[in-house]
Amino acid sequence: MKPKRLAELAVLTAVSLIIFIIELQIPNPFPIPGVKLGLANIITVYAVYHYKAYETAMIVTVRLILGSVFGGNVSALIYSTAGSALCLIGMLLLRRVIDERHIWLSSVFGAVLHNTGQMAAALLVTQTLGLIAYYPFLLVSGCLAGLFTGLCAQLLIPRIRKIKK
Amino acid sequence: MKIKVLIAAAALIFIAGIAGSIFVLCSPSKTIVNIKRDGEVLYSLDLSKEENRSFVIEYGDSSNTVEIKDGKIRVCAAECPDKTCVHTGWLKSSAMPIVCLPNHLIIEFADENSDIDALAE
Repeated sequence: MKPKRLAELAVLTAVSLIIFIIELQIPNPFPIPGVKLGLANIITVYAVYHYKAYETAMIVTVRLILGSVFGGNVSALIYSTAGSALCLIGMLLLRRVIDERHIWLSSVFGAVLHNTGQMAAALLVTQTLGLIAYYPFLLVSGCLAGLFTGLCAQLLIPRIRKIKK
Repeated sequence: MKIKVLIAAAALIFIAGIAGSIFVLCSPSKTIVNIKRDGEVLYSLDLSKEENRSFVIEYGDSSNTVEIKDGKIRVCAAECPDKTCVHTGWLKSSAMPIVCLPNHLIIEFADENSDIDALAE
């Protein structure tokens, strides 16, 4: 890997980690586990469309591990890992179908897949089917949060292109 | 063309989510409550017969304090990092349990049938 490429990945990871930690400071008005804006995924969405699959996976993995350490919630790592893995695989596949102008749509599916992965992990860990009741709320919040992060990524793309010139 | 199909799919997921949420919020409450951890029932309580009280459920170094008041149940304090279970408030819907994922704790209304089984044992 070229040093310049590595530096770019490192900057993107650092930025997503900063966004992640700032988001932790915003109080969450919804008392449902798994509901959040996921602003750090703006970087994930951008990376999926501009970097190779394994490079994006590197950014997300480092973000997840460092994020859970800095956030002080290591026990939630199982859920976020399951969610992120499913989200990443789904978005890398969707990249073939959805072009960059519709990146927000890709982001919506990514968010819904993320919530689905979280839910599956929670069901497996707790062995309680009743948790499924949270899934509809997660679907709604996933669609809205995914739309928001996707639109943010869409605003980001021309700006990053300008910086890179 | 493919994009339109995908947009329709996303809209469908959103509508299904809203419909599901309404269904969950409209499910009526019951009186028998189970407190579970990893699929194992720790306590089974009949809220209509319980006095007002609160008790602590330990999990390793961490714990949750459960409060019963006027036939309602909630988690009033927790040592978990996110406090989602505390913010959930009183247990209202039979379809939506109180959950503390860090402590693997779940408080939910029990089905009437399974409760009879528990009493028979």
